[in-house]
Amino acid sequence: MRSVYLMLPALLWASVALRAEVPSAIAIKDAHVVTVSGEDLPKATVILRDGLIQDVGANASIPPDAWVIDGAGLTVYPGFINALSTWGIPQPGPNRAVATAGNVPQQAAPATPAPNPAPRSHGPEDRPQTYSFERAADMVEPSDSRLEAVRAAGFTTSATFPNRGIVEGLGALIDLAGERGRDMVIAQPIGQQIEFRVGGGGMGRSFPSSLMGNIAYVRQLYLDLGQYKQAKETYVAHPNGNRRPEYDHDLEGLAESPRLLLPADECQQVDRILNFGRELKVPFVVYGLHEGYRRIDELKQANVPVLISLKWPERPKDADPNDIPNYRDLLMQEQAPAVPGMLAKAGVKFAFYSDGVDSAPDLKKALKKTVDAGLSRADAIRALTVNAAEIYGVGDRLGSIEKGKIANLVVTKGEAFDDKSTVEYVFVDGKEFQPSKEQQQPPQGGERRGTNPADEGDANGGVN
Amino acid sequence: MEFPKLFLVALALSGSALFGAADNSVVIRNVTIHPITAPDISNGSVLVIDGKIAEIGTRIGARSGARTVDGHGLQLYPGLINAATNVGLEEISSLRDSVDLDEIGMFNPELRAEIAWNPSSQHIEVTRASGITTVISLPGSGARSFRGGPGTVISGQGALMHLEGWTWEQAAVKPSAVMDMIFPQVETVPRRFAAFLAQPALSYQELQRQYRERLRQTGEFFEDARRYEKAKAASGPDFRRDVRLEAMTPVIQGKTPLLVQAEREQMIKEAVAFADKEKVKIIIADPREIGSTGALLKQHNIPVVLGKTFDLPMRDDDPYDAPYTLPGDFYKAGVKICFGTFDVEFARNVPFEAAQAVAFGLPREEALKGLTINSAEILGVSDQLGSIEKGKVADLILTDGDPMQAKTNIKQMFIAGREVSLESRHTREYEKWMKRP
Amino acid sequence: MRRLIPIACAIAMLAGLSGAETILIRNATVLTVTKGTVQNGSVLVENGKIAAIGKNVSAPADATIVDATGKYLMPGIIDCHSHTAIEGGVNEGTVSDSSMVNIKDVIDPEDINIYRGLAGGLTVSNVLHGSANAVGGQTIVIKLRWGKTAREMLFEGATPGIKFALGENPKRQGYPSQNFFSQGPAPERRFPGTRMGVEEVIRESFTDAKNYQAEWKQYHDAVARGEHPIPPRKDLRLEPLVEVLEGKRYVHAHCYRSDEILMLLRVADEMGFKIRTLQHVLEGYKVAREIAEHGTGASTFSDWWAYKIEAYDATPYNAAIMTRKGVVVSLNSDSDELQRHLNLEAAKVMRYGGLSETEALAMVTINPAKQLGIDNQVGSIEVGKSGDMVLFDKHPLDYYSKVQKVWIDGHDYFDRDKDLETRPEFQKKKKALEDKLKVAEDTGTRQGKRNASNAASTPMIEENQ
Repeated sequence: MRSVYLMLPALLWASVALRAEVPSAIAIKDAHVVTVSGEDLPKATVILRDGLIQDVGANASIPPDAWVIDGAGLTVYPGFINALSTWGIPQPGPNRAVATAGNVPQQAAPATPAPNPAPRSHGPEDRPQTYSFERAADMVEPSDSRLEAVRAAGFTTSATFPNRGIVEGLGALIDLAGERGRDMVIAQPIGQQIEFRVGGGGMGRSFPSSLMGNIAYVRQLYLDLGQYKQAKETYVAHPNGNRRPEYDHDLEGLAESPRLLLPADECQQVDRILNFGRELKVPFVVYGLHEGYRRIDELKQANVPVLISLKWPERPKDADPNDIPNYRDLLMQEQAPAVPGMLAKAGVKFAFYSDGVDSAPDLKKALKKTVDAGLSRADAIRALTVNAAEIYGVGDRLGSIEKGKIANLVVTKGEAFDDKSTVEYVFVDGKEFQPSKEQQQPPQGGERRGTNPADEGDANGGVN
Repeated sequence: MEFPKLFLVALALSGSALFGAADNSVVIRNVTIHPITAPDISNGSVLVIDGKIAEIGTRIGARSGARTVDGHGLQLYPGLINAATNVGLEEISSLRDSVDLDEIGMFNPELRAEIAWNPSSQHIEVTRASGITTVISLPGSGARSFRGGPGTVISGQGALMHLEGWTWEQAAVKPSAVMDMIFPQVETVPRRFAAFLAQPALSYQELQRQYRERLRQTGEFFEDARRYEKAKAASGPDFRRDVRLEAMTPVIQGKTPLLVQAEREQMIKEAVAFADKEKVKIIIADPREIGSTGALLKQHNIPVVLGKTFDLPMRDDDPYDAPYTLPGDFYKAGVKICFGTFDVEFARNVPFEAAQAVAFGLPREEALKGLTINSAEILGVSDQLGSIEKGKVADLILTDGDPMQAKTNIKQMFIAGREVSLESRHTREYEKWMKRP
Repeated sequence: MRRLIPIACAIAMLAGLSGAETILIRNATVLTVTKGTVQNGSVLVENGKIAAIGKNVSAPADATIVDATGKYLMPGIIDCHSHTAIEGGVNEGTVSDSSMVNIKDVIDPEDINIYRGLAGGLTVSNVLHGSANAVGGQTIVIKLRWGKTAREMLFEGATPGIKFALGENPKRQGYPSQNFFSQGPAPERRFPGTRMGVEEVIRESFTDAKNYQAEWKQYHDAVARGEHPIPPRKDLRLEPLVEVLEGKRYVHAHCYRSDEILMLLRVADEMGFKIRTLQHVLEGYKVAREIAEHGTGASTFSDWWAYKIEAYDATPYNAAIMTRKGVVVSLNSDSDELQRHLNLEAAKVMRYGGLSETEALAMVTINPAKQLGIDNQVGSIEVGKSGDMVLFDKHPLDYYSKVQKVWIDGHDYFDRDKDLETRPEFQKKKKALEDKLKVAEDTGTRQGKRNASNAASTPMIEENQ
């Protein structure tokens, strides 16, 4: 039972659009329901109770105790899942904690420990930049300031991973709301993320500085893991005469992970990472994929799920206007948003991840861009919902609107991602949120319609 | 004539023959002469008196007291010129103590490369062994050097030096031949090793700002120099002199050209506009692209000292042979070109840089001119150097073939009429270690 | 017969698609390097290999004929020291011994310098780790098969290598020195700081490797005896060193001074392995005899010198001296720029030491092939070898020459005429894409306008307008 009685001052009522009370049952009546797992229902009702979907259908009967939301003109989708992010782990910086229902805002106390500068590593044996034992599930807090903003884009769930080092830690699938951190966890561990840390020229730095150093390091880790497992098994069977294997929490963390997340953006990186994943003999997922359009067949053959970054490549804002970018970069700018559509046609399972895109309008724009580039809206929704859930092994309980599944939903007015559409409601674990319209608008002065050059450098910043 | 008088006359004549060799004259016979500014002469001879070319032709009379050099059918070319080096000022590039380039400060017109020329630098012998008799030595290491940031605009006076001489005084041909300048640019093209040295990446806006500031300061500096020149001309002996600004006077007066390094099309255009505005003479140095500047340079009569032909294209999408066709492109646009290497270690390879341009479109004669007469003209010494002509300084090389080919051997060399050894550190190592049992 | 023609065409087309083309290069001056020169010669390539060479070679009906009249054909150029096509850093300089890293993992087939090298006649590169470590990373040989993936570029059958480095570079981090590398924050010191320390690193690494070898032998012996020992840890750093000891991996050692060259040869003897090639080896001429006795190849520069003090005694006569004293010498590039014209570098040994034309060409063909152990496949134009060849418009040692075509395994990877032809089309394509993206960007955003106004804001030009 999740009914919690909250006391909120009237001020918060105005500025934080939360419901003060959580009804035990909700019915969204006569809406267009995109179930994803089954048919699109042009006019149906969804019943939520106790955080689960109790019923869905054109003829679903509304329980008498249910709070009824009129779904006319609204569309219900499963809540969007961000397939890889740090959402939920408050990031270090200026006070990022905000008041949310149920907790007193903590003063500048981020859940991620301030990263201690790691001691300089002198080789793989120092396990440089390894945080494989860190768990997102231990680090998530509802106070992360981004949650409200991304809910306004229709996201209810995130595959959240810690974010430091090369072996970054065990991720957790989390709800993007909750009273306490641990309430947010849907499933964990869902995987281990690898990120290559390259640069610095190597002089006077910590191992590894080069890409090949990173690769060798991960390779050595997995060799160590293999040996560790073998050593443990051998020791259990034949303890006498053998030195006991040391407890190794890095390797324990690795061993616990059901899959590995490996990065690849450019086409030769895709080749490299597919080979590497196969070499490591672990189930793996590839994330990035901006130049994926050059490797559609290979990805299909590899039969590996992929996560596509929503941070579409763009001409850097800071560029020298006299400098012409390479054709390859231009092509990436043009083609990257078309990759999801191509993957859909080829039958490759993919999901999306935010890659640092953290505001509702930006997320919407990014999703619209790929729909405009050839991904069908239905496939886009699939990627954001059931695909992500299946990739992380929770497709049986999340990611579609079906009886018995977790009640994570997004209700829009207008079709998802359309410029004029808005997110009206978001349900996280059955709890209702009404994202503010301000959060869904681009920031003031960002996208004005006027083309008057006199607007340039207008010190007032905006009277239009 | 009476016999005794005849005898005296004969004695006098023979005496003058004995003592008449005080002019160190040399006759080089039996060579194919490549004058550059005139058609080739087979079976030719050249007479050198007092370090100058006195006569060229197929029949040169015997001259008593002159040393005769039998050319054995070899080729005779003018000594080659490298129009941009740091020879004499840098010994080992990675050892700062052995390098005298890139003085601190933005405007250093008073610095003179000439006086820092180390006559014992091993690079002198090494460079001339490839047929090069004169080089311009610049006090700055150039826009593309890995040293330092975008600090210097004017590095100082570049000197035209013979690759020979007991002292720099003796080696100097034209002590202040050019004023070395790097035209301000927006530093977005990454410098070599910038990432390696972990230089911070600045925003484009910031780079633009820095560039504008440097440009403004440059304009101001020229303005100061102009004012100084005017004031000094109008003043008496009490005038308070300023070494720096005074060094700019020949530039202001159009006597000393600025050797302006400008890599990209945009910079070249700006440099030309700058020169127009400041009313100074410029030479464009080490451009990496021509863009649409060919016509502009021709119209303004601005020549170019090319940097290395053996280079990589600037951008991934550039044609693979962009640096190879560049000299030819400038030539076809009507721009006068000559070759330089803007370094020390490979200064000797300037003939090969020219040859590569020939492979990709520059006519061979033009390439040769770019190592001889064009360089001389651009540097304002064409009355002395750059071709085998009567009255010019006898800088000559004898080769067994085309000096722009690696398989050619440079056999003999004369600088200002004196034969110089083609031995160097490199040949001495060869001799010594071949003998190791 | 008539029926066979369409079939033959179909086969030819399929063969063309699969890369197994038949090519007849006709009427060239064929510089075989190892077997003399064939004037007005022709070379037939079938299934990627050289099938016939001679004055009168007939070709099957489906052969592509290349008229090479007036042109020169030589074996594909081989570069024994390259850092081209490496992604994410050439050096793992953070450790004294970086043998756990492998260049094979980071080959970047998209590097434009591969194409530029091809355009200069380059067909094979020995891609090496940098010289920041006394014992460096593992290395690999590639063929410049532009357009293929990294895997497809690997030279099948070429023995893998490992890079060592002696002299200034690997000791640079021991003592921050007075050269330009020491700009920036003073790095933490990393052993070694002297040439003595460099020897120590090598000795120690190989001692560790021998201990490791012994450990594993013990383990295998115990298993064979029916015991149940826990296996030792597999150590990626020591595995390649064991391979060196077993003769399965070549050592390519960057070195300059005669004392360090001698040191390395003696350490190798002591530890029981061979040095396959000495790289740069600018003072090799001083210890040419010892190098020849050890059986090591020397891969050097044509005429680089004076950029470091250890290069101050370098002489361009190095290659000639070592050759005369019985060392197999190649000339390398160590540079994306130089690798484009190794034929011209080779020509320099004619001036510096009076080597012959054939000896010069050998410096960048059969000699590096021998050094890399691939001379059974490449390095000369001989029947049975790979169809790796370069067509020049003049003699390759002529400084006015340029490359027309390059074949690798009989497939043409570079064609200058095609390159020239496709330029305008490419520019058009690129401009169209640029414009399209600009429009998309400008619509509705202020940044587009900002860009436009920036582009016009170059002060000098504005003033003069």
